Amino acid sequence: MTAHLVRILDRVTRVRGVRGAMLVAAEDGLVIAESLMEGVRGNALAALAAALAGRLGRAAAATGVGSATFVHLEAARGALLLVPAGQGVLLVTITDAGVNLGLARLEMLRAVAEVA
Amino acid sequence: MSLVNFTTREITCKIVYYGPGRSGKTTNLQYIYGRVPEERRGRMVSLATQTDRTLFFDFLPLELGSISGFATRFQLYTVPGQVYYNATRKLVLQGADGVVFVGDSQARQLDENLESLQNLQANLLEHGIDVREVPYVLQYNKQDLPRDLILTPQELDDQLNFRAVPSYGAAAVTGQGVFETLRAVSERVLRKLSEGAPA
Amino acid sequence: MRRARVIEPWLREPLERFLGETGARLALLMTPAGQVLAQYGFVRAVDVMAAAALGAGIAASTGELARMLEERSFRALNHQSPRHGIFLAQFDSPRGALLALVVYGPDSSIGLVQLFFEELVGDLAQAAPPASRDAPALAADFERDLNGSLATLFR
Repeated sequence: MTAHLVRILDRVTRVRGVRGAMLVAAEDGLVIAESLMEGVRGNALAALAAALAGRLGRAAAATGVGSATFVHLEAARGALLLVPAGQGVLLVTITDAGVNLGLARLEMLRAVAEVA
Repeated sequence: MSLVNFTTREITCKIVYYGPGRSGKTTNLQYIYGRVPEERRGRMVSLATQTDRTLFFDFLPLELGSISGFATRFQLYTVPGQVYYNATRKLVLQGADGVVFVGDSQARQLDENLESLQNLQANLLEHGIDVREVPYVLQYNKQDLPRDLILTPQELDDQLNFRAVPSYGAAAVTGQGVFETLRAVSERVLRKLSEGAPA
Repeated sequence: MRRARVIEPWLREPLERFLGETGARLALLMTPAGQVLAQYGFVRAVDVMAAAALGAGIAASTGELARMLEERSFRALNHQSPRHGIFLAQFDSPRGALLALVVYGPDSSIGLVQLFFEELVGDLAQAAPPASRDAPALAADFERDLNGSLATLFR
């Protein structure tokens, strides 16, 4: 089963500039499946991304704009992208600075549809 | 509570050795383990600290053989005696069919003995076990120590044996009184079981 | 944030860093015998004693189970209930083997606790002063030190 999930993640990681993608159990912050380049700390990323998604989700709910559907955290040397995949699963992508954001987002949404 | 399986014709009873810290509860089990033939006993499990004080419990399963056509097993447990471990002591006491109170015969330990007896009563109460009904014997351990340091079994009876249950002087380290105590509590447990059994 | 209570000062910073990152509700650092070195979140001494004794008992039980199965002992246990998680882990420190018991709520996660637990172990290793000749690293006379410790933890 994990191999199937990794194949789905590979669609995202094929996008130039994407350094890794993972499916994370949102409540536990644990890795379900991952496709990561060397040097990306999967466990840490899973735990922190899940915590962040949780906080942002609550913030979004509090503002009355509805639940988060796509999160983009832009940083100095890249970006962190989050998409809830339903059923307590989160798709997390980490990218370089030069990534085609629109393409990455598109592939993430397609991947999430396949996971559901 | 005794487990009686009428299909497989097996009885399993739980006996808990209770008492203050360092009174000799573990020593009782170690002696029994050393003397009972291998085919009549299982592994002895001891969950202890680095300084060999019981942390959670000691456990020794014994096969008594067939009694009234039932394969009878006893599970002997000890509890940690130090006051600190009351939470775990309470857990181990759950489901006890019989209790052996191992008292320390040293005169200076009398208060500890009393405190432990009160603690036993309180914990039994919490488990809904009537302290007047539960099969129970007293062991006054360390009777091998110098006379001027210890109380006699009679003196200890006066101080500790409120229910006039069978009591035995012992020196667990040499084995004195260990099997007598075990036999007495086993007898009381099985008698109670047979009294409660359906006709 | 309420401060952690510690028996020795070097424990404070690593533990408070861990608590800040994980948002844990309760935490105990203790010896395998259940002697508490630091606590956070407990209000009553009796609750600390019970939690420490039970945690130490669980660790001892699973250690024994591992031995029976001829496995190396379990590093960490996690118990999950609808509202809370309980994390219990053994680790080596310059002061010998220690146990950490952590209770966390829905605003944290096992992933976060595990992640920052590894950092806590590293931080404690760095922060521990060398064991002095006079002070026993882990007190042998449990009962005497217990009362002193409890007083400190609940001052």
